[in-house]
Amino acid sequence: MLAMVIDDSSAMRLILGRIMRSLGFDVVDAPNGAEAIARLQSGVLPDIALVDWNMPVMDGLAFVNAVRREEKWRQITLMMVTTESEQSQIVRALAAGAHEYVIKPFTPDAIADKLALLGVLAY
Amino acid sequence: MTYIPSADDLEVITREVWTSFLDGDPAGLIATSGDMPADKITGCVHLSGAYTGSIMLQCSPPAARDAAAALFSIAPGAVTQTEVVDALGEIANMVGGNVKSMLPGPSALSLPSVVQGQLSLPGTRMVREVQLSWRAEPLFVSLWQQAS
Repeated sequence: MLAMVIDDSSAMRLILGRIMRSLGFDVVDAPNGAEAIARLQSGVLPDIALVDWNMPVMDGLAFVNAVRREEKWRQITLMMVTTESEQSQIVRALAAGAHEYVIKPFTPDAIADKLALLGVLAY
Repeated sequence: MTYIPSADDLEVITREVWTSFLDGDPAGLIATSGDMPADKITGCVHLSGAYTGSIMLQCSPPAARDAAAALFSIAPGAVTQTEVVDALGEIANMVGGNVKSMLPGPSALSLPSVVQGQLSLPGTRMVREVQLSWRAEPLFVSLWQQAS
């Protein structure tokens, strides 16, 4: 299974990528929503995308909206992984089409638990 | 009246970030008071909306280097300036985002900025600060509010 990690922090991409690999996923990443969309348009089709909210160029909410507008990307599970913890922001992300929401800081177990809830585990 | 998170709140949030990503030892961060060197590294995020202000994280260059080394899982001697900026920005973002959740909303959270030295925040005043040390190096976290 393939995971796409979208975060403007290279440290966070590294950390999340390591966690996802430890859970059996192959991992690709992108530093913002626009580059993630470009990767999708090039044919990369992840099973799950882990999406930060606050990013330059295209933020996570705009990415979620863009993905949900395309029928061919409907199968991608979207999980926000972000410091945005205001209830109103969580509601906005879920209403836009995100499936789950993880607030930074997180533990590897918290990520694994959310993936299990979503039924998205590589093994 | 606007609720302002306490210095204890800032400390709890900072400890949570530290133990999650930087130092699994909860005793690694020690409450202290001391001086911050002039060549400190400052990471900052700004809030605008129901609460307008900033959350600032400052630490000595050795602490910033060690924090970046921990986040990137590399030796401190191998850390680059780019990695320091990335790490301090992300730490400020995590601390700031969690402080934001305790403040009146809705507010927008900026992308982080990282500078060496003092970051000027004109028109704001510091309303809370916690002084910590990590590996015997200073680490200060402060909350700023736009002057009304």
